[in-house]
Amino acid sequence: MTPGCVITIFLLIGITFVPVGLVCLQASNSVAEIVHRYDIDCVPDAYRRNKQAYIKDSLISKKCIQKVKVQYHMKAPIYVYYELDNFYQNHRRYVKSRSDKQLRHGMKYTDSSCGPLERNNGLPIVPCGLIAWSLFNDTFGFTRGSIGIMVDRKNISWRSDREHKFGKDVYPFNFQNGSLIGGGKLDPDIPLSNQEDLIVWMRAAALPQFRKLYGVIEDDLQADETIDIHITNNYNTYSFGGKKSLVLTTSTWLGGKNDFLGYAYLVTGSASIFLSILFALIHVKIPRPHGDAAYLSWSRKSSN
Amino acid sequence: MSSRIKEMMRVATARLGGEQSPRGGTSQAGRAEASRTARLGGGGGSLRRQPQPQAPTVRTIYCNDREANAPVGYKGNSVSTTKYSVLTFLPKGLFEQFRRVANLYFLMISILSTTPISPVHPVTNVVPLSLVLLVSLIKEAFEDWKRFQNDMSINNAHVDVLQGQKWESAPWKRLQVGDIVRIKQDTYFPSDLLFLSSTNPDGVCYIETANLDGETNLKIRKALEKTWDCVIPEKASEFKGEIQCEQPNNSLYTFTGNLIVDKQTIPISPNQILLRGCSLRNTEYIVAAVIFTGHETKVMMNSMNVPSKRSTLEKKLDKLILALFATLFTMCVIGAIGSGVFINEKYFYLGLRGRVEDQFNPKNRFVVTILTMFTLITLYSTIIPISLYVSIEMIKFIQCAKFINNDLNMYHAESNTPALARTSNLNEELGQVEYIFSDKTGTLTRNLMEFFKCSIGGEIYGTGITEIEKGGAERAGVKIDDDEGKRSATAVHEKGFNFDDARIMRGAWRNEPNPDACVQFCRCLAICHTVLPEGEETPEKITYQAASPDEAALVAAAKNFGFFFYRRTPTTVLVRESHVERMGSIQDVAYEILNVLEFNSTRKRQSVVCRFPNGKLVLYCKGADNVIFERLADGNHDIKKTSREHLEQFGSAGLRTLCLAYRDLSREQYESWNEKFVQAKSSLRDRDKKLDEVAELIEKDLILIGCTAIEDKLQEGVPACIETLSAAGIKIWVLTGDKMETAINIAYACSLVNNDTKQFIITSETDAIRDAEDRGDPVEIARVIKDSVKQSLRSYLEEAHRSLRSTPGRKLAFIIDGRCLMYALDPALRVNLLGLSLICQSVVCCRVSPLQKAQVASLVRKGARKITLSIGDGANDVSMIQAAHVGIGISGQEGMQAVMASDFAIAQFRYLTDLLLVHGRWSYLRLCKVITYFFYKNLTFTLTQFWFTFQTGFSGQRFYDDWFQSLYNVIFTALPVIMVGLFDKDVSASLSKKYPQLYQEGIRNTFFRWKVIAVWGFFAFYQSIVFYYFTAAASQHGHGSSGKILGQWDVSTMAFTCVVVTVNLRLLMSCNSITRWHYFSVAGSIAAWFLFIFIYSAIMTSFDRQENVYFVIYVLMSTFFFYLTLMLAPVIALFGDFLYLSLQRWLFPYDYQVIQEMHKDDPHEYSMIHLPERSHLSPEEARSYAISMLPRENSKHTGFAFDSPGYESFFASQQGVGVPHKPWDVARRASMKQQRQQQHTGRS
Repeated sequence: MTPGCVITIFLLIGITFVPVGLVCLQASNSVAEIVHRYDIDCVPDAYRRNKQAYIKDSLISKKCIQKVKVQYHMKAPIYVYYELDNFYQNHRRYVKSRSDKQLRHGMKYTDSSCGPLERNNGLPIVPCGLIAWSLFNDTFGFTRGSIGIMVDRKNISWRSDREHKFGKDVYPFNFQNGSLIGGGKLDPDIPLSNQEDLIVWMRAAALPQFRKLYGVIEDDLQADETIDIHITNNYNTYSFGGKKSLVLTTSTWLGGKNDFLGYAYLVTGSASIFLSILFALIHVKIPRPHGDAAYLSWSRKSSN
Repeated sequence: MSSRIKEMMRVATARLGGEQSPRGGTSQAGRAEASRTARLGGGGGSLRRQPQPQAPTVRTIYCNDREANAPVGYKGNSVSTTKYSVLTFLPKGLFEQFRRVANLYFLMISILSTTPISPVHPVTNVVPLSLVLLVSLIKEAFEDWKRFQNDMSINNAHVDVLQGQKWESAPWKRLQVGDIVRIKQDTYFPSDLLFLSSTNPDGVCYIETANLDGETNLKIRKALEKTWDCVIPEKASEFKGEIQCEQPNNSLYTFTGNLIVDKQTIPISPNQILLRGCSLRNTEYIVAAVIFTGHETKVMMNSMNVPSKRSTLEKKLDKLILALFATLFTMCVIGAIGSGVFINEKYFYLGLRGRVEDQFNPKNRFVVTILTMFTLITLYSTIIPISLYVSIEMIKFIQCAKFINNDLNMYHAESNTPALARTSNLNEELGQVEYIFSDKTGTLTRNLMEFFKCSIGGEIYGTGITEIEKGGAERAGVKIDDDEGKRSATAVHEKGFNFDDARIMRGAWRNEPNPDACVQFCRCLAICHTVLPEGEETPEKITYQAASPDEAALVAAAKNFGFFFYRRTPTTVLVRESHVERMGSIQDVAYEILNVLEFNSTRKRQSVVCRFPNGKLVLYCKGADNVIFERLADGNHDIKKTSREHLEQFGSAGLRTLCLAYRDLSREQYESWNEKFVQAKSSLRDRDKKLDEVAELIEKDLILIGCTAIEDKLQEGVPACIETLSAAGIKIWVLTGDKMETAINIAYACSLVNNDTKQFIITSETDAIRDAEDRGDPVEIARVIKDSVKQSLRSYLEEAHRSLRSTPGRKLAFIIDGRCLMYALDPALRVNLLGLSLICQSVVCCRVSPLQKAQVASLVRKGARKITLSIGDGANDVSMIQAAHVGIGISGQEGMQAVMASDFAIAQFRYLTDLLLVHGRWSYLRLCKVITYFFYKNLTFTLTQFWFTFQTGFSGQRFYDDWFQSLYNVIFTALPVIMVGLFDKDVSASLSKKYPQLYQEGIRNTFFRWKVIAVWGFFAFYQSIVFYYFTAAASQHGHGSSGKILGQWDVSTMAFTCVVVTVNLRLLMSCNSITRWHYFSVAGSIAAWFLFIFIYSAIMTSFDRQENVYFVIYVLMSTFFFYLTLMLAPVIALFGDFLYLSLQRWLFPYDYQVIQEMHKDDPHEYSMIHLPERSHLSPEEARSYAISMLPRENSKHTGFAFDSPGYESFFASQQGVGVPHKPWDVARRASMKQQRQQQHTGRS
């Protein structure tokens, strides 16, 4: 590690990282993204003070229409995500409350791993466990004026999950029949491997703020266009103060909008270049002679 | 064959020191006894023990009668020193393993992880723990296997056993109690034997007990007269004795028993007992009966358990582990409190209403907190590097086995002895030694006195150059040719004589300017001594038996000058004189010895009054220069002056000098004196004192003949080694049982002391103390000595400080003798003693007992908290070797006692350079690197988990898959660090020796300070944040191009990939030398991770656990941002380290880094001759260097040293063995020998 070597390495890092950062930023910038938080707006004014009462009262209609203005041209495919915040899908009690065996092979594999929602009325629940039980059940529809926009809800889960983790001949059973209803219900006639919402939901998120794919709009959205979003606001995030948002985004090779990588590359790259210049200056101004015996501790000591 | 068995015995007995007493024979009480005495350090360092309480029964052995002995069921003669057997291996081995705190900790964590409170599957902790245990057990098994093989080779050695009327060869293990065996010369005794008969006529045999007590002199055993005729098998088969003796015990020097033969009871004494481990010498063969076998032999019952030493680095490592525990605890407390605060019914999706298990019950937050604490402990258990200890052990083991034991630089070809690391846990301690305590005889010197030079009548003879002169000349830049080539034809090198000067050899002295002086010189050498000649009376074959090797050397010199002393009778000394009358004439002259005035430490001289055949009376005297010069007759100042110069010259060359003088006596003078002498000799009170006084009367008006210079032959390369070690900042103390003069002389010879050195001497040989001794009151003597020690310590300390301030470069030396040391070690004076000795560059302790050696070592070890090393070769060094941090035994010589107690055994003192400067330093550097790296990698890994905890509601959810976590330490990051531990070297071996100053980094512990650890800790902290938050942030809104979102396992797999890659790259960054092994192991580890994850995410069985990472890596690898993150995270993580390392190297380079740079371009650094550090001498150093180059005319040191016969008796009396040899003993022995010879001739 000679000074020259250090300077070169920094320079090399800089030279590679800055362009990569720029490319990443460009990619991220080319993503058009609409994030629309709806959990507050969709509560009728009368219930603003007691949102929980609203959400728990099954008699009140949960329908809600929100208008969103598209700012940039969005090219299909446009991905529709719902985003939850302050939702600890990664909580230990939550994460482990599922039975992969049951999901794959059916009811007879129900085991204690699903606790506390393993059985109801003495019968096993399929799919069991807290994760399935708390299935997200808001629904979204989009209209442009009065014309509906198609949302493709197929193929939103990982293929590997569909094919290998969720059984083709496992059907929901005894699900959401208890005294407490957690979230969405499942059609007992559709096998789990086709319940894509469930599959998406059950891929637990890493962080308390997360997005999950809802569907794909295969139409372009034009700039300055206003679309209506038809929301059924079923899911209770009010009890724990979680936020709900709807996200419409296009995608690039890098995925969704993510400035972080681009900035990180840029910062690292430019810091490297800066350091290499700084070091080069120091090296020119006050060089340490390479392999100078005067720097040996015993030589230094005696010259003091 | 015999050398093979010897080797085996060496190994076997060496193991006695190292291993715990094997199963079998030893009773519990015996073991406790053994370990107790071992701890005491065994005053004399010998195996002498208190006998055990005797079993009430008596052992009755029927010789030569297996059937009769059968009912008793004596144990066989096979020995087993293995720790385990096939059956006990697993339970016992596991028990041993779990005695380690780390393993126990992980066992507990493993148990904890089977409970529901654990966030991780038991596999996370069980797999690494079992791998670690597996490796440790394999190592144990391997070592035990080697022990077993050793046992087998010993058990299968052959010995002749009497079968019927014939000797038949049988393996040792078949021997049974009562068997009659025949032992040949130079073989070992297979068991404890009763000596029956010998080929020597008077039933004696000679044995060597070096394996037991390190004493190399032969000991005599004598058979009972009744059994002398058993030497032929016919007779032996008729022998049907019955032995009644004590039960087996561990007392080596006692034996009680009776031999009943022909209804006659004969008591047996230790004199008839031959112990296993000894060997037969100087006797063709002996016949003996087996009495104790196998584990019941005394030597086996003496197997002692050497207290195992732990290195200082490891002790510091314990502190680091403690600090890690503290960190772990803090992290857990933070997490646990968080969990208590977080848990709330409002998170309905957690199902917290109704009956909830305690851990998540929001109604009892306190219990939640406590239980989460345990959860987190299991989760963060990886902060304690489980594989650290086993890795260190493996590294050290391989270092020892492959590097130290196989180093050709430490292999002594002559004695075929390689270095031997007897323990593998002190390697890095060798890199931090600051004080070396060295024994003198056998360690620094060869205990070989060689007549080297002399000065006769003002002329120096002898052209040899001593090591110290060579060293001096080399420093002065004068090239000295190796003398081998240019030695003259007359040069003679034999035992005790290494002299080269054509002017006086082969009678050439006749042509010298002063032939008369030469004659007197040689006569004095040939007559004035107490040597006993042995063997054939020819110059070639004769051997001289002398109480001190100096005397033998002097007599040998006389022989070579043509005055061959060949026989001593009680009253005469016979000398065959050549060339005296004329060249070539030879005549036998008998000198009548009238009086011997013996040598002692007060008189420092020895005189002989003899009568020439022509009736002339002459007193010959040899002694220390100062006592002789005091007693010289007036006149002849020239020769006195030149002789004194010569003495100083010899002295500073490290030679031991003696002055020779004579005096012609008239008959009247002698007779009047002799009356007084006889009177004094027969007086009953104060005889010694009176004899001294009488001697004074005649030892005066002497005429100086000349002086002799004897080289106390140093071990090869000792001065150079000492110089290198001092340059490395190591202080060398010489602790010796020798007299002060001898010790100082050796200090000169080893360049520990030179004429520029300021010496502080505390000795009990002062007038005040002598006066007190004369008064004879022991209390008074003690008080006087104590006072004088106290006073001189204080004044010396002040003086030393003053000298340090005024002339900082000046070397100081402190010399103290054993008696004063005893008082100086008193707690009240200890501080001063320590203070003074730490200031001084070299310390010489003379006439110290083994116990004092140990006390001095522990004084520095405990008092100054410095790392100490003891090196010695004999039994008297054992306690010192055990007391120091590192004990080194000199192997390859006969005595094994020191080696048995040591941690490392080397063949020569000079190998210390390699052992310390190369292996020790490397080990230290490597170990520091390994430990800090382990610390770093586990901290980094665990902290990522910790950051995750903050975002999981403090629930203790694990971030990584169980298998990731369990294999992290044992697979993905295991191998590279071991490679570093084995192969990393900052500078090459030759550079390490060339720049001994590099060693100071170890002494200062530069690489394992809290500062270093803090730096690593800081970067671990930084990197963990990078790994966790960067991967989290990068994947937050990132999704595949098909819009599918990532889950927790995907993020963690990505983070883990980054961790593995970075941690492995970080290791490469800290390597000094990167070999293909490094690349291979680092690339291999990363590849192993990818291979693992590829396979792991591809399989899915019905046995799968929950939440598996099925297909994760494939999805990840289909996204671009995975690669972008993988490229970014390690670079940013290592950015800080890189910046730090480069700045450190640039601005505050370590010494080794500078030297690396200096020698970057010269792969063959030995081609460089100039020494760069020479140009950087400070003014003081330059001055002292210049002074050391000055001619030494104002030197005071004249090099007097002589091993008086009293010297040997010093230890002997302490150990309660041996009798001091007195001059009259010599005469008595001479007369006895003559009688015996006459008997022999008469008989034949």
